[in-house]
Amino acid sequence: MNGWILTATVGLGAGVGATVWGVATGPLRRRVVAQNMSSAVACPGLLLLSQGFGRPAYLDLALLLALLGPAGTLVFARLLADDLAADPPHARAVTLAAAGYGAVVVLVLCAVTGPGRTMAKLLVIGALLIGGNLVASRALSGGFAASRRG
Amino acid sequence: MDEPLIVVVLLLVAASATAAVAVRDPVHQALVLAVLGVALALLFTVLQAPDVGLSQLAVGSVLTPLLLMLSVHRVRRREKGRKGKAR
Repeated sequence: MNGWILTATVGLGAGVGATVWGVATGPLRRRVVAQNMSSAVACPGLLLLSQGFGRPAYLDLALLLALLGPAGTLVFARLLADDLAADPPHARAVTLAAAGYGAVVVLVLCAVTGPGRTMAKLLVIGALLIGGNLVASRALSGGFAASRRG
Repeated sequence: MDEPLIVVVLLLVAASATAAVAVRDPVHQALVLAVLGVALALLFTVLQAPDVGLSQLAVGSVLTPLLLMLSVHRVRRREKGRKGKAR
């Protein structure tokens, strides 16, 4: 048990725990935001686990999650556009907090690993994660309804 | 050695699985299933089975909930069409 795994434990316990609570209760707008946040919180956790276990191959999981999580949220936003248009979610603070957490984790890991292939992979994962989550969050808060209107 | 981590992730899986059973609306259930898929993938990673986690991530967190959502969407549209005809 090292510092990386301890940080991952705390981050996953608090972050994913909060998203499980958010997705299980409350109105639909809160649930879709929580579903989006689950991938935004789990991905930095996987990065920390990969560093903690000393296995760079585990980064593939984070890469797949960073690719598929926002894509899944976009399809949810598309299919639920009619339900969400009446009661759109506003989660700017949560989205920015999750993006900041992801950025901090990626930057710290980059500083630790040093230049090389792993660092390039980390940067790609970070860009996909943050960009994807910002786009998905924007789509949830009315991107599809707005594009349909005009 | 990593017991606290395993316990935390197991608790997450248990909580989200219970929520998936307890929630009744299919749309909400699809959202909970997506989170359950992520939690299970985390569990497999923590138990040193990243290959299983990879497929769980693709199938459990994306494909299954989206299939559910697509069928719900389809059923709803058909019901709406039937109501329109009845009028």
